[in-house]
Amino acid sequence: MRKTGFLYDERFLLHETGPYHPEIPERLTAIYHGIKESGLLPKLFCIRAQPAQRRWIETVHDSAYIDRFGDVCFSGKKIFEHPDNQMCSNTYETALLAVGGILQTIDMLMTGKIDNAFCAVRPPGHHAERDQAMGFCYFNNVAIAARYLQQNWQIQKVGIIDFDVHHGNGTQHIFEQDPSVFYYSIHEHPTFAYPGTGREFEFGSGPGYGFTKNNPVLPGQGDTEYSALVEENLVKDFEQFQPDFVLVSAGFDGHKDDDMSDINLTTEWYSWVMKRIMEIADRHCNGRIISVLEGGYCLRRLPELARNHVAALLDE
Amino acid sequence: MFVSRSMTQKVITTGPETDVFDAYEKMLQNRIRHLPVTDADGRLIGIVTDRDIRSALPYSLIKDSSRKAEAEKVKDLKVMDIMTADPKTIGPHHTLQDALLLIQELRVGALPVVDKAGRLKGIISVRDLLRAFINVLGFGEPGTLLCVLVEDKVGQLKKIVDAITAEGISFGSVLVARYFEKDKRAVFPYLLTQNVARIKRKLKEMGYTLVDPLEWYLDELPKYDRK
Repeated sequence: MRKTGFLYDERFLLHETGPYHPEIPERLTAIYHGIKESGLLPKLFCIRAQPAQRRWIETVHDSAYIDRFGDVCFSGKKIFEHPDNQMCSNTYETALLAVGGILQTIDMLMTGKIDNAFCAVRPPGHHAERDQAMGFCYFNNVAIAARYLQQNWQIQKVGIIDFDVHHGNGTQHIFEQDPSVFYYSIHEHPTFAYPGTGREFEFGSGPGYGFTKNNPVLPGQGDTEYSALVEENLVKDFEQFQPDFVLVSAGFDGHKDDDMSDINLTTEWYSWVMKRIMEIADRHCNGRIISVLEGGYCLRRLPELARNHVAALLDE
Repeated sequence: MFVSRSMTQKVITTGPETDVFDAYEKMLQNRIRHLPVTDADGRLIGIVTDRDIRSALPYSLIKDSSRKAEAEKVKDLKVMDIMTADPKTIGPHHTLQDALLLIQELRVGALPVVDKAGRLKGIISVRDLLRAFINVLGFGEPGTLLCVLVEDKVGQLKKIVDAITAEGISFGSVLVARYFEKDKRAVFPYLLTQNVARIKRKLKEMGYTLVDPLEWYLDELPKYDRK
């Protein structure tokens, strides 16, 4: 049994994406109710969010980009930079709140109040580049978390594990030259799936070469292929890297019932991978894991996926 | 899609009287495999490739430049002795498709680009073509590839394009390819969005089959032969 934090704030629902968009507030309510109805909520340390200070956002994003995002949002425009990025007048503040909540969660973990945590935030982050919003993402939550760990808590090596079905182009690019952050991503093959990066031969660059690993998976494949790749790559790479902290970009859109991809993962695989990640974190960094929600759009499956995700973190 | 827009304009060349070793050194330094040979007026008279040079020089000489004795035997070898004279060329106003088909037919790695007066204007290599076609395929930008199976009859593509356009989605490219089943075509719209769940449902409702891309192997298609 571990002390597991759960970041959830009803204000994350205020970011609205208009009709016909899959990244909707109902995703979070499905996750919240899934956890609540399973009876796990009383066992979790519930965390409410405060907006992030701008200086932490600036560890990853250009100042001009942050201004532009704020200006476009408050001007009442419904699209930021690409039709994928639908928004409303609350989006900027919601994005600040998501980052802020994750940073508070880090503080709680580093001061020993919790052992690990799941941050159910919106909007997601892993496609957001230093100076560009992409694929429903505005601020790169996980990237900012990694910089905060390093700069505020003197954590040296951060290992990021991204099992969202899409490649986290933003996270990869932000850290591609940085040997202090290892980015591992497993995702649907970029020839078929958004955003078209994360090919097998992308390993980072300069001093960061060898600290990026991509495992593209062909459409139609599922648990068997994913598990084999995780064992062969993630486990071995992290054995060598020896992270001091593990951040997870948790996307549930590779589930076979999620129509955002053609990957056929089962509910059981997501439980398996979380247990495997716990073992990795136990081995290298006293089990310090913060998992942050990315994608996952199947409202029917999200409750069980979220419940199993926090159950794995609780490790009862 | 003209050759002049995709070719390498600053061509590194050599002269017919140049020593083969010097020509090889030039290739290594510039990391290239083809050296057009020009006369004093800049007219193309031949081309020499790294393979021509490696065939002309004993393997041990290239591996070990200290072996002077063997080097003596070939030291008088000039570029003109081993080059391909009057090589096949292409003009700057030919299209990329011309270059692609010609390179495939001739089985060469690059074509010198010459004007009507025979002056060398550039060189277009397989690499240049790859870069141009990555651009044409549109996958330099973030997007999602669909594979839609349609009957081989007029008007199918319009319906698909209309349906995608009605969703407000932009195209990176649309490719149409032959499919192994007779009377079928595979349409590959590359959509500049992450948000494809709805359009995929819509296409299925319109009666189209969305092909599992794993069932679509380029290699199983009959080989394209121009002869």
